[in-house]
Amino acid sequence: MKRGADLVLVAVLLLAAAAALVLGGPAASPDEALAVLSGGGAPEVRTIVLGLRLPRLALALVVGASLALAGAALQALLSNPLADPFLLGISGGGAAAATAAYVVLPAAALGVVPAAAMAGAAAATGLVWWLARGPLGPSPTRMILAGVAVNAATSAAILTMLALAPSPRLPGVIAVTMGSLASASAGQVAWLAPYVLVAAFVLLLHGRDLGLLATGEESAAALGVEVATVRRRVFLAAAALCGGAVAFAGVIGFVGLVTPHLCRLVWGGSTRRLLPRAALAGAALTVLGDLFARRALAPAELPVGVVTALLGVPFFVALLRRSA
Amino acid sequence: MTTLLRASALSGGYGGDEVVRGVSLAVAEGECVAVLGPNGAGKSTLLRLLAGILPASSGQVELRGKTLQAWRRRELAREVGFVPQIVNFAFPVTVTEVVQQGRAPHLGPWRPPSPHDHAAVEAALARVGLSRRGAVAVQHLSGGERQLVLLARTLASEPRLLLLDEPTAALDVRHQLEFADILRQLVSEGVGAVLVAHDWNFALRLAQRLVILHHGRVWAAGPPDEVLEPELFRNVFGVEVEILRRDDGPPMVLPRVIAQG
Repeated sequence: MKRGADLVLVAVLLLAAAAALVLGGPAASPDEALAVLSGGGAPEVRTIVLGLRLPRLALALVVGASLALAGAALQALLSNPLADPFLLGISGGGAAAATAAYVVLPAAALGVVPAAAMAGAAAATGLVWWLARGPLGPSPTRMILAGVAVNAATSAAILTMLALAPSPRLPGVIAVTMGSLASASAGQVAWLAPYVLVAAFVLLLHGRDLGLLATGEESAAALGVEVATVRRRVFLAAAALCGGAVAFAGVIGFVGLVTPHLCRLVWGGSTRRLLPRAALAGAALTVLGDLFARRALAPAELPVGVVTALLGVPFFVALLRRSA
Repeated sequence: MTTLLRASALSGGYGGDEVVRGVSLAVAEGECVAVLGPNGAGKSTLLRLLAGILPASSGQVELRGKTLQAWRRRELAREVGFVPQIVNFAFPVTVTEVVQQGRAPHLGPWRPPSPHDHAAVEAALARVGLSRRGAVAVQHLSGGERQLVLLARTLASEPRLLLLDEPTAALDVRHQLEFADILRQLVSEGVGAVLVAHDWNFALRLAQRLVILHHGRVWAAGPPDEVLEPELFRNVFGVEVEILRRDDGPPMVLPRVIAQG
């Protein structure tokens, strides 16, 4: 049954990816897009499919996998089903810094917005870690409380800046705070991919440790986990993954929270096996969410963060009821 | 009897507060040592120090002649099985999945379980009588069964020494006896055990030696017959007890009233 579900997951991912390349506006109809994919097609359609849709697809895959992987790892690390990059303030830190960059910087300097987002995510990560520290290292409960506090502060900062932002800069700010893959480029993906691979490798390497940490730190330590080392590495890797995602796609909510739970419902509780599946499922969910965002009200485009939240909220509520 | 674990003048605690002060004790193969004392005496902290989960502030612990610091965490986990008082199951997991975690010290990050790993998991489940419950979610088990799952998880790592933190605190009398039988069997096979307990009569069923902690120090230590005196209970626990010595089993402790003065 699990093998079958794996095949379904891969099939959904491939179909979603194909749909993201093929479906679109009248400038590149499905038939014309298919012609491009088989090596032909008109030059202007090639530009749309390979120059716009392909980088956007690639970014959606990388960002979705990053968020879901980070969420799955943080949930296990903190043995808390509600942990995700959002709750811990990491996404908020990135978004606040990116918003500030949009509001303050001159137009010529807007290229540094992703760098600002990453710096903001890193700063929020450091702040949460520092706030949560204690005699035996940061405790999961304190980390979540610190994350909630940082998150509240960053939301307040973002709202203040939104109120004060000059109107020409609003679209950029909105793209950051609601999530958007519209400005994807091949260069972004090339920059992000190696960085994401290293962080993902760290998390997969500690998959078994994370399964033990999900049952509590003392019990993990008793079964041979170097808790302090693993906690530091996993937290940094997860923060790096969401920092990268926020830098290029803004805040895409609920992928990090929901995907791991979806995977647990389908495949059961083993964290080590959950991680790669969550990555694939997160990639598929984000590609589908982005496709929906692009096409649902075409030619208008919805922010992808809104779509994933619309998909995520009902699931989240159902999850709460189930655990009650 | 070969000594497995030896603690010498061991002290430790949390953030500068010393909870355990200068405790020395030894556990041999095939021996069960029960650590008893009032709430806050430092029993659980002592167990964490012995497991190497909490670093000692002074003194040392040797496992098979080698100080704990000289062991790698994973190698240590293959030798010493620590059964914590509470384990948090935040996510749905089956009994078998939990018991499989006990093999983690024997596996690297990537290696899938071998036939021997699976056999060890099966044996541990069989030992606690949960072979047929492997596919059940731990969340659906009773407190007593959950405690047996935690014991099985520890046994799956095939440790030489067990450190048990009040394993029977949440168990009904039948599960307590079941737990005692399993432990007695393990000890007779040569496993060493340190048992932290509140229930004297449970401890007396199993332990060859008692260590009484009071305010983090060893108040008394030795075989039950030497240690069990009414003054001990008056001075350490503040209660008057009757000690029933029996020909056909270990002594029993019957609490009477709170001691005066």
